[in-house]
Amino acid sequence: TVRPKNEVEQKQLCAFGEYVAEILPKYIQQVQVSCFNELELLIHPDGIIPVLTFLRDHTNAQFKSLADLTAVDVPSRQYRFEIVYNLLSLRFNSRIRVKTYTDELTPVDSAVSVHKAANWYEREVWDMYGVFFANHPDLRRILTDYGFEGHPFRKDFPLSGYVEV
Amino acid sequence: MLSVQTTGLVGLAVAENPHERLRILYTKILGVLQNIPKDAAYRKYTEQIVNQRFNLVQTETDVQKLQDKLNSGHIEEVIVQAENELSLARKMIQWKPWEPLVEEPPSDQWRWPI
Repeated sequence: TVRPKNEVEQKQLCAFGEYVAEILPKYIQQVQVSCFNELELLIHPDGIIPVLTFLRDHTNAQFKSLADLTAVDVPSRQYRFEIVYNLLSLRFNSRIRVKTYTDELTPVDSAVSVHKAANWYEREVWDMYGVFFANHPDLRRILTDYGFEGHPFRKDFPLSGYVEV
Repeated sequence: MLSVQTTGLVGLAVAENPHERLRILYTKILGVLQNIPKDAAYRKYTEQIVNQRFNLVQTETDVQKLQDKLNSGHIEEVIVQAENELSLARKMIQWKPWEPLVEEPPSDQWRWPI
């Protein structure tokens, strides 16, 4: 069996993606809609707060809920970390993904001023990947042990770690 | 709206005189939008939305019918949304997102599979 394609939703997401890309050409580098009807906006890192505030406040795009904030490590790239924000709109029942990039040393603006939910998610990304968030109210380790050194989710961190327990 | 005691939503009080509040908010938004260049897509689309809602607010005096026509939840939610749009418009003036792209990504940045 094959999942049935929802052409109507695909068209709506494409149209909305073009709408957002037309309003924010300064920060949006690419817009894509996957075959499973998932809209993704690929952003320059300077545009995190403008784009997230736009998506939260604009009448046609009330994405009030930050569902998830994660990072992806692709060591072969120049900017190895890809920060992913998943947003949900309750008014229009639709989801959107916003992706940015950074390397190990460049700080990224914190989304806490836009979505309070980003607080612990950003602490987790800092702890697991080492991505520093500027203007975060309280950026410290959240999942690793107190004296733990290293960032475990990076691809160059070994599976059984450096210290024997 | 005083015939209804609550909105049914936590934290949102019933708004007395919502037409007046919406009229004030929409005029403020349109005033702020004048400071954006005329060819910016944000200004075009937001003016379209705001004018549409403004006309509906001015023609329809009954609150229930206005809520149905706007099709956007309670009138108090529409007021909150208009306040959000106003704050967004003020921030957009500083960010200027209608300018061309800040910086192109490296060519392999968004390639998937790697």
